[in-house]
Amino acid sequence: MIQLYNVYKSYNNTPALVDISFIIKKGAFVFVTGPSGAGKSTLLKLLYRWESYDKGQVLVNGINVGKLKFNKLWQLRRHIGVVFQDYKLLQGKTILENVAFALEIVGADKKTIRYKAWESLKNVGLSHRKDAYPVELSGGEQQRVAIARALVNNPKILLADEPTGNLDPEMASEILHLFEKANADGTTVVLATHSQNILREGDHAVITLKRGKIADTRIVA
Amino acid sequence: MNILNTTLINIKSNKQLFFASVGTITTALSILGLFLLVYTNLNSVLLFWNDQVQLIAYLDDEISADEKKQIEKLFSSRSEIDSFDFISRDKAWENFQSMFSEKSSFLKGMGFNPLPASYKLKIKPSRERLKSIQSLAEKLSQQNGIESVEYGEEWISRFETFMILMRVFLLALGTLLCLGAVLIISNTVKLSVLSRKSEIELMLLTGATPGFIKIPFFLEGIFHGVLGSIISLSLMKAIHLYLVSRFQGSIETFGRGMDFQFISMPFVMVIMVTSILMGWLGSYLSIQQFLGAYKKL
Repeated sequence: MIQLYNVYKSYNNTPALVDISFIIKKGAFVFVTGPSGAGKSTLLKLLYRWESYDKGQVLVNGINVGKLKFNKLWQLRRHIGVVFQDYKLLQGKTILENVAFALEIVGADKKTIRYKAWESLKNVGLSHRKDAYPVELSGGEQQRVAIARALVNNPKILLADEPTGNLDPEMASEILHLFEKANADGTTVVLATHSQNILREGDHAVITLKRGKIADTRIVA
Repeated sequence: MNILNTTLINIKSNKQLFFASVGTITTALSILGLFLLVYTNLNSVLLFWNDQVQLIAYLDDEISADEKKQIEKLFSSRSEIDSFDFISRDKAWENFQSMFSEKSSFLKGMGFNPLPASYKLKIKPSRERLKSIQSLAEKLSQQNGIESVEYGEEWISRFETFMILMRVFLLALGTLLCLGAVLIISNTVKLSVLSRKSEIELMLLTGATPGFIKIPFFLEGIFHGVLGSIISLSLMKAIHLYLVSRFQGSIETFGRGMDFQFISMPFVMVIMVTSILMGWLGSYLSIQQFLGAYKKL
């Protein structure tokens, strides 16, 4: 569960988020949308505490994010998978190693790492290319690897910041289906996008931001 | 195992920097080591001479048996004297001839013994040794039958002062060289950290503990230091072995029982521990500074 209460965030006195409050229930799928500069990325960064906030309260899985010390942030981040527009894959590692990297970090044993990394790649349809390097893959394939990496540790929450921003509509739709599949398996998904196609295709709750404020919400029953 | 792998990958990806860093640490520690080698050997000379400190009372050639008895009585009454040996004129001449055996033909040609009889006095070690030797020497020089008194304590005292200065110099030099080495390691590790910036960010995002991120860099820094110290100690040992093979003969004529000393084990341990600390501190400074930027976010 994600809870935000009257959250404010500014950069050098320029407000980025103003009085944001909402609750996202466990297992929900929520789009965060709005024009560029509306505060979508900032909002997501607050959830995995990449950025701190000035006022208010952010609770993620019952953890008071603002109170977490730097050396305890891993406790929050191990429950969250993050996917970025630019994939953030390590170019010197094969795609299997890229996925395995997330497992190594949490201290999984070698056997588990091998099995789970391969299985995660299989779930995104890329197990046959496990020895390829990111540069050898298309944008859509790289994003699938990033999703596999984000999901490999079975996070409770999956955050995605413009995951389809660099992809053509067909590929974007494929990627959306992967997020929906993860959501169907019980993962809470928060996906930031400005793409109307994606919003139309996925029949999910929507939080619309405009100049750092919540402008509109669409609740799906 | 993974941590060691990561450390090795870090080193491999910055090979040139790694060698430059290890080379500089080796040079810094070798300079310190050379001074330590000199210090150790001067110290051993000091200890050797200290042990040899004695007061020699040369006797008049025409000394009477009664005067000799009086002198020996005086020696026995003085508590600062540990022991005394009488060296007759003949014995002194014999010793002299054996010390300069290569000039024996010249010495034989002299036809007479120019050396006086003497007493060698060993003085008990104490803090006030110099003062007690001085007062004893004064007393003895007034004694009938004693021609002159000789002792080298004053010179040794000056040498001791020099050794204290040497210690201060070594400490200052060591501190400066260590600081330099820490800065070099810190910069090398900083470049290593920066070259892996995206990987570290990913680690932070994925929930790596700070220890998981820092330890490979600490190990890298420590590896720099330890390798540098091992190479410099090996160089020191090579220099020591060369000096021993080349000059041991000469040093033995200088003082019997003396030899070239290697840096003592405690100093070797100090160099090793210092190098580990330097490596750790260097990498600690860089990684803390790097992660500090993420703390402020």
